[in-house]
Amino acid sequence: MGVKDGERDNVNFSTIPKGAKPTLVKDDSFFTKKRFGFIFNEEKQIKEAYKEITKVEDMLSPGNSACLGCHAELALRTTLRILGPNTILAIPPGCMGGIGVVGFQGGAGTKIPVFFPLLDNTAAMLAGIKRAYRRQGRDDINVVAFAGDGGTADAGFQSLSGAAERGENIIYICYDNEAYMNTGVQRSGTTPKWSWTQTTPIGDGSRGKSQKGKDMPMIMAQHGIPYVATANPSFLPDYIEKLKKAMQVKNGMSYIHLYSGCPTGWKFPTEKTIEVGKIAVETNLYPLWECENGKFKLTHKVWKRRPISDYTQSMQKYAHLSPEEISELQGIVDSNYKRLEKLCKL
Amino acid sequence: MGKIDVLNGNKAAAYGAKLARVELLAAYPITPQTPLVEYLATYVADGEIDADLVEVESEHSALSVLQGGVLAGARTFTGTSSQGLALMYEPYIRTSTMRMPIVMALVTREVISPQTVWGGQQDAVTVREAGWIQIWCETVQEILDTVVQAYKIAENKEVLIPVNVCYDGFSLSHMAERVELPDQELVDQFLPASDISHLKLDPAKPMSVDPLTAGPMLTEFRHKQVTAMKRAEEVIEEVRQEWAEKFGRDHGGMIDTYRMEDAEIAIVCLGSPAGTARVVIDQMREQGIKVGMLRIRVLRPFPVEAVKQILSKVKAIGVIDRNVSFAAGFGISYLEVKQAFGGEKMPPMLDFIGGLGGSDVTLANIGDAVLLTQYVANGGKWKDVTWFGLDPIDFEQLDQSKLRKMMGDDQDDELLRGVIS
Repeated sequence: MGVKDGERDNVNFSTIPKGAKPTLVKDDSFFTKKRFGFIFNEEKQIKEAYKEITKVEDMLSPGNSACLGCHAELALRTTLRILGPNTILAIPPGCMGGIGVVGFQGGAGTKIPVFFPLLDNTAAMLAGIKRAYRRQGRDDINVVAFAGDGGTADAGFQSLSGAAERGENIIYICYDNEAYMNTGVQRSGTTPKWSWTQTTPIGDGSRGKSQKGKDMPMIMAQHGIPYVATANPSFLPDYIEKLKKAMQVKNGMSYIHLYSGCPTGWKFPTEKTIEVGKIAVETNLYPLWECENGKFKLTHKVWKRRPISDYTQSMQKYAHLSPEEISELQGIVDSNYKRLEKLCKL
Repeated sequence: MGKIDVLNGNKAAAYGAKLARVELLAAYPITPQTPLVEYLATYVADGEIDADLVEVESEHSALSVLQGGVLAGARTFTGTSSQGLALMYEPYIRTSTMRMPIVMALVTREVISPQTVWGGQQDAVTVREAGWIQIWCETVQEILDTVVQAYKIAENKEVLIPVNVCYDGFSLSHMAERVELPDQELVDQFLPASDISHLKLDPAKPMSVDPLTAGPMLTEFRHKQVTAMKRAEEVIEEVRQEWAEKFGRDHGGMIDTYRMEDAEIAIVCLGSPAGTARVVIDQMREQGIKVGMLRIRVLRPFPVEAVKQILSKVKAIGVIDRNVSFAAGFGISYLEVKQAFGGEKMPPMLDFIGGLGGSDVTLANIGDAVLLTQYVANGGKWKDVTWFGLDPIDFEQLDQSKLRKMMGDDQDDELLRGVIS
């Protein structure tokens, strides 16, 4: 069919200033440059990781209807490969439910047991499953949520926070595409400041979302649960290692917050998903860290931080930003990162 | 026969859950259900119930945890009231559409506003179309027995519908009565260990639960749900019989009747006012008024045939409602009975609304209802709905003043004093 970027019928482009086009910065990430020995190591790690995950069966059925370039679909495929068949999966309403992961009219979306919780009770339902199976002596089953940011940070937060406080032994993965994407790009609690969405449009009286997004992984870390991590499908080896750690936790909840680039909702070319994800990390906008039993640790050191403008220019949802606004965004990124660095030194 | 004890309604419900050998409990305290949660916690703490008790952060999560439990094959129990039920509504409606055999004590209470924490039936009747079976209790003994029976009904493979054991807040939840505690062994014979596997999430047998479903298949689902409700009517009667044989107690099946054999007028009750009505009926019978009672024990599914069959024989019907419908200003029981008759010829029927927000439905109230119903049975005219305490009744005009005097005034009631002593 050849739908051009910017012409998708489910995205309203009328609110974007005319003439604004995504300008992807030339990829000068150290990831692809073999300047240092550690980069070589990292490439090796990536190759090994891919070898590892392609050796095991893909548990997600082919033929789902995810958008081209969906970061979350890549993440889910990898997640299920690592979790393996001994897993029960919850997919609350959201993109992954929408693409047919739970199934449609008699067809199943995964090769493992899967179900739709309500948007706002995922953690509680999983707690019930885990408790009942534990009583049956089957503590080996991974009980896992793969939920969007709405089902996690907004409607689902009460249930999640309660389950975290009670120490429910479940794995909760949030794929954060920073808005309600399944319903067509409406603002969520994690939508970043000045981001364009359908409910925070650009106009004479609005510059996009006027509030900062919730820092969900940090909020979850403050619950004092055994394991919290951020991850990014553009850095798969890092994510795989974190997921394996999460699977080993037996005394409480593991929470992984996944960056999830969305070409449809953020408006960047579909083939640039991995690249955009990399820039998010390399600008320190989305640092990769983990908090294991209260101990914070950066898991991916950024050697040469890129300016946030590299990121904002890579997609249209920030196309309206003025230099002042970009520099304020830079300030937010810097102060968040400084706080994280301090936490890691504790 | 088991032991004898004095229990209140909430403790009886908790004890029923214990006898049913529940495996997963989750509940959030809300007046007047709160003691139920405390009793459950105590049972678990003392090792009397071998179950996981999940101390959830809300009613929404309470029922959600149980749904997870059912997906792993566990027998589950919870309880709620009023605003808690309102918060629970989202998983509540889904429990029945997912065909999960969960049993929940619904300690009925008035809903706000204005702010109130006292009894009433508005919460339960409001959710009567959520697809749950609703069994309404009259006594503390019935609460205990019904909780056990409820599992047998809900888990029946041809039913698989969640059950609400409804009992009036405070009037029953906090009232202490003599109760016979059935032997655990006998209960185990009556109710074998749970075998809930129709929607089990098991990695050994992968299944997708509740995938996206379009209209035609959904219509079929809903139709099957309605069919199962119909089947539940028979199962409720079967369970009643088996219970009566094993335990020697019979609280009725879909309905319960009192002195209806030769009754000329009938009082229809739902829940706790039935106990009061029995006393009034005995007194009225002594005065030569041939009155009986039909207690609606199961509000969903509604006992259409039984109600029609029994009530078509009387000259007039008086319905007592502790709830209101905004359809035409009637109570729910009134509308349900009327609906049961459909367009068929039926005796004249009066509705009496009272007992809202914890106010009592007194002996005098029900006495008034009987007198007015009799007045209508004899050809008199009276308005369809009477609100106890709000609508004046001129008994001189009705030429019933002598009988009315006998009933006394509300709380300061000779009959009531007689009952207490």
